[in-house]
Amino acid sequence: MILITQQVLTTLGWIVLALAISPMVWLIFQPYFKSLSPAERRANGLLHEVLTPEQCRQLVWRGYLEVPSPSTAQRVYRVPRARGYVQVIENGRAVMRLCVQPVECLPDADVVVLHKLMIEANEEHYLQKANKYLCTE
Amino acid sequence: MLRVMSRRGDDRVTWDEQKVLEGDSEATAAIREAERIFSQERAKGATAFRLDPGKPAQRIEEFDQTAEQIVLVPRVVGG
Repeated sequence: MILITQQVLTTLGWIVLALAISPMVWLIFQPYFKSLSPAERRANGLLHEVLTPEQCRQLVWRGYLEVPSPSTAQRVYRVPRARGYVQVIENGRAVMRLCVQPVECLPDADVVVLHKLMIEANEEHYLQKANKYLCTE
Repeated sequence: MLRVMSRRGDDRVTWDEQKVLEGDSEATAAIREAERIFSQERAKGATAFRLDPGKPAQRIEEFDQTAEQIVLVPRVVGG
């Protein structure tokens, strides 16, 4: 009886442990699984066509893409690889965060391309649409 | 090539400009289809960009069959 109870408790312990670590495992492997989807693969294809090799490296290693403002010298937009705020950097300091998103759900790589194209060729409209949060520090 | 961003990645319509000039019916049909999609997406608020190698992206209002690549991005809103 004691042996059976012990076995049941051990099994329950493993189940609890598996349940506890599964969200962490999912978080670690989620980008890999997502990159396997046909949508993400196609979006990555477009991203690699639009970016220079140096910009690709920046996106992979730093987790963001810097897009210089076509209208304001010393201003750079820092577009994150995954979803999130776009930072506006002026003279090396973060001055603002922008929240802009497409009305349609897009793969992450397409969202990066969208930001880059909008900033480079339609900056005024992009800024008009964005919700802006000033950085006070 | 016309690329329309969507949840599926991007949908593409391709055509051969040379064949269009030669009057090829299939190429002409592809152009018509691309034009139709362009107008439809623009009406929904999409923005169109012309991409040519080695040149900065350019926003366009009208369909341009001579463009190497046109990318349509959906309407954006403040989040």
